[in-house]
Amino acid sequence: MNFFHKISRPSWLGICILIFLFSIIVFNGMINDWGRASQGLGNLITFFNESLWPPDWSVLEPQAYPVCTVYPNFMDFTCSTAWIGMVETIKIAFVSTVFGTILSIPLSLLAARNLNQSWVSYSSRFILAGFRSLPSLIWAIFFVILVGFGPLAGVLAMTVYTVGYLGKLQYEAIEGMAKIPLDASEAMGLTKFETALKVVIPESANDLISQAIFMFEYNFRHGTVIGIVGAGGIGYYINLYLKFLQYDKVIAYLIIIFVVVLIIDFISIKARSYFTEEIDLPRSTWKSIFLPSFLN
Amino acid sequence: MEKIPWKIEPIIRLNDVTIGYNVKEPLVEIPNLEIFPGEIVAIAGPSGVGKSTLLKTIVGLIRPISGSIEVCGKFFRDRPDRGELGYVPQGLGLVRHASVLHNVMLGADAGHNTPIPFIGVFRPSLLLSWLLKKKTAKKKAIQAINSMGLEEKISEPIRRLSGGQQRRVATARTLAQCPKLIIADEFLSELDEKTIDMVLGEVTKYVRSSNAALLVVEHDITRAKMMADRLLVIDDGRINPFITEPTALEVKI
Ligand SMILES: Nc1ncnc2c1ncn2[C@@H]1O[C@H](COP(=O)(O)OP(=O)(O)O)[C@@H](O)[C@H]1O
Ligand SMILES: [Mg+2]
Repeated sequence: MNFFHKISRPSWLGICILIFLFSIIVFNGMINDWGRASQGLGNLITFFNESLWPPDWSVLEPQAYPVCTVYPNFMDFTCSTAWIGMVETIKIAFVSTVFGTILSIPLSLLAARNLNQSWVSYSSRFILAGFRSLPSLIWAIFFVILVGFGPLAGVLAMTVYTVGYLGKLQYEAIEGMAKIPLDASEAMGLTKFETALKVVIPESANDLISQAIFMFEYNFRHGTVIGIVGAGGIGYYINLYLKFLQYDKVIAYLIIIFVVVLIIDFISIKARSYFTEEIDLPRSTWKSIFLPSFLN
Repeated sequence: MEKIPWKIEPIIRLNDVTIGYNVKEPLVEIPNLEIFPGEIVAIAGPSGVGKSTLLKTIVGLIRPISGSIEVCGKFFRDRPDRGELGYVPQGLGLVRHASVLHNVMLGADAGHNTPIPFIGVFRPSLLLSWLLKKKTAKKKAIQAINSMGLEEKISEPIRRLSGGQQRRVATARTLAQCPKLIIADEFLSELDEKTIDMVLGEVTKYVRSSNAALLVVEHDITRAKMMADRLLVIDDGRINPFITEPTALEVKI
């Protein structure tokens, strides 16, 4: 007998209402001064008008030092802090996604329960879960302490988190593959290694590739944050100007990040659509990506 | 068991075997079954009776509920040697995103090649013999693909083939392996009459010429009688080896 069948529909509704009421009580208990919250909107408007808007686009101009030597002149925005920080964030995301993918494939092959005895898969899962248990920001703090400020700490932090997160996505994809190809290889007497290389990886390649692309997108978004603790990328400059209270520059950075995230998300969705199950179906279009499906 | 030198040993020997997925619900009982080299044996029976389960048990993918199963001289849990056993599952088990050649090479590699040990990369003699074996395997694979009439599809991914073509790829994979024993589950379904003749002809030719054994599940009784030396019918949860019709093929010695 299923738990869901024991309780009639109206009591499910009752349980949902109770949970909601409970969350309101907990929330109310955390807030000791509702007055401050009611002033929030007013504060926001003042703050917005006085120090946030308009954005200070000087972050796109070349820095005073080192002197910009880029030619032709209209390319000199590549000497700006926004450009340098953004490019570094993309580089960190790219390098750590590639390193993390290479490391996570063997671990996920070991972690898949349909390929290994349970003690092997559980040991591998334990390692992956350990890498995943801390967010990349905390790993970044850890590596900044170990190897000092700069992009190296960022690459190490993101690589470790990528292994943990991507490894989980990958072993789930591998466990989702059909059992019969594995039966056939076992009957033929192929070794575990051959089966992994010639049956499992080709069979789940589409999933593995599309997850690696998703991971790059994910790493790029999180890479904008790890600079705040000194692990390289555009977050470093955001943190700098936050400290100097130059919020109009900060908002310029945030707008730039927003635009680049949109672009990278788009490229990621587009690239992944080449690796979904039925390759022979028509590719996704601009419209199908940005509009909800019922408008297409 | 004492071995008499001139006596032909069976490739498959089953004694008092009960099969099924659940100890409490046995599907089929097989009191005694021996299959010899060069023999073609067909199993027929209503659907859902446990034919595929019997084949899976003989292949060694499922533990028998009771009894002893000997396949290529090995008992359950020990696998037959690499490449000795060819299996065409009912669901085929092809790598859908890879080419026909890739899939058939799996069988050819199992039958004619062993993976190079890691140290071999540094030993030219090992590397050379591995390359030669790889070449033989590839030749066998291409032969098998041609014999199944798939030469035009050789680099096509499996998912773009029709059901019947996919079935022939699975058969080619097993033929390229040159196994001692072929276990095939409904490997003729989804094929038209002409293709059935071709596939059956090739498989029979292989079995007769290399003295291998073929154990096949075939739901179509007339076709089963036509192709097999012996026909076993599963009826009422018991294997019934008594309907044996002499066929044209059985005229061999
Ligand atoms: N993996 C499984 N676990 C439990 N029961 C199964 C499984 N596969 C098949 N069965 C059951 O075993 C019985 C025999 O199935 P099968 O051997 O596939 O029949 P068929 O003779 O048609 O090949 C069926 O009743 C089926 O429902
Ligand atoms: Mg079946």
